[in-house]
Amino acid sequence: MKQSGFNPHSRWDRHIPETSDTPQTGQLDEKIDCFAWFRAGKIYPQAFVWNHKEYKITNITYNWQERRGRELISFFSVSTGADLYQISFNNTNLSWRLDKIIE
Amino acid sequence: MILHIDMDAFFASIEQAINPRLKGKPLIVGSRDNKMHTVVCAASYEAKAQGIDSGMSTADAFKACPNLEFVPADQSKYIWTSEQIFELLKKYGFEVVYASIDEFQIDIRDETELQAIARDIQKQIYANFNITASIGIAKNWLLAKLASKINKPNGIFIFTEENLEGALAKIPAKKLCGVGEKTNVVLEGLGIKTCLDLYKKSALFLEQNLGAYGLNFYLLLHAKDSFELEAGEDKPKSIGHSYTLPRASETPGFIKAWVRLLSEMVAERLRQNNFVSSTVHIWLNGPEIGGFSAQKTFGQATNDGYEIYQRCLKIMAKLGVKTPKIRALGVTCSNLTLASYPALFKEQQKRQKLLEAIDKINSRYGDSSIFPAQTMFTRRMP
Repeated sequence: MKQSGFNPHSRWDRHIPETSDTPQTGQLDEKIDCFAWFRAGKIYPQAFVWNHKEYKITNITYNWQERRGRELISFFSVSTGADLYQISFNNTNLSWRLDKIIE
Repeated sequence: MILHIDMDAFFASIEQAINPRLKGKPLIVGSRDNKMHTVVCAASYEAKAQGIDSGMSTADAFKACPNLEFVPADQSKYIWTSEQIFELLKKYGFEVVYASIDEFQIDIRDETELQAIARDIQKQIYANFNITASIGIAKNWLLAKLASKINKPNGIFIFTEENLEGALAKIPAKKLCGVGEKTNVVLEGLGIKTCLDLYKKSALFLEQNLGAYGLNFYLLLHAKDSFELEAGEDKPKSIGHSYTLPRASETPGFIKAWVRLLSEMVAERLRQNNFVSSTVHIWLNGPEIGGFSAQKTFGQATNDGYEIYQRCLKIMAKLGVKTPKIRALGVTCSNLTLASYPALFKEQQKRQKLLEAIDKINSRYGDSSIFPAQTMFTRRMP
């Protein structure tokens, strides 16, 4: 016999209300250019350009994906040595974004 | 044999893997962005050592430990990681089931290299996700789950015929999944203090004192498991969802949207389990009304979110206050039966087809990819 089933896809956080007092620290959501390797179905971002400045990625600390309707978004938390950023790649419009600075 | 994998402080560990600065620090993951007005949905082991645990308000957590690090929860990371771990476990060639977002069970049948498999799973999880898991192995899922908690974090424990009674004697009965505070009081009244006390009781004794629940407990504890075997009484008694709002609201449209959302969530789970329900229970909590709770049984069982919502509104009409301030609310469906009859009338059939299509889309593209427009109102706090 099994323990009762569980649905891992439950995404009701999408309905959580935005409150005016919600702090948005580090949120950027800006378009960036990114240099990345696409190898064996995986993406390895190497560097990105934000505000005309190039940031070399020294380490990808984590990566995950999220499906939003037709779009599949790949997220990466990347370290440039000094700072940590969250960047994302949209596989539908093939664009990269700098989501936030991770503090 | 069943192997139970329980991820260690799952959400907090993922956040620590993402941000190495947080490693080794007391960290809490809040269910919302607002640091001081939310609840702890996960705590790192460093925070747990200071008495912080899930369910606590963040304000209390910061009072107890002012140097806590805080990260708001981001479900997408946790769901993705959970799915990836599930896929990784499937590669071992055994049947795997989800017990929760951070717990998995594998039927490893008559496999003899138990330690080796468990160690390899831990190694693979750490190599791929930089997080740890604790593993319990036993003859059934209930004992395997209990075993996974014995050597946390990053531990392995196997209940064998030889060590089972000795180990159970050291574990309080309330540590067993399914023994809540109320049941524990009843058990203590019966002289049952440890898991061994419970294990040693006969099926008749447990049934006489705890009813069908007690008999089910006996069956679960003593089962020699394989996933194919079915328990006598394995279906849930009720399915419910609740939510605490960031602050109290008296806007009817907002409150109704939340009742609708919770009704839809409950209905979706009913449909996933092929259940229909005839009893709807709603509870509301607010500064003026305190706690309001009422239920009603209807002639026709349903698993349609809109119908459950309409039934909730009928129950809420009894409230007396026209637009009360609401801070928390919940919808639960009970009296569950299997949905074995097809819809009779044309309208019902059309509705059923619509629900099937919605479920199909959400199953393919992720929950809430398509949803009733009314639930949009939950997203903006009035």
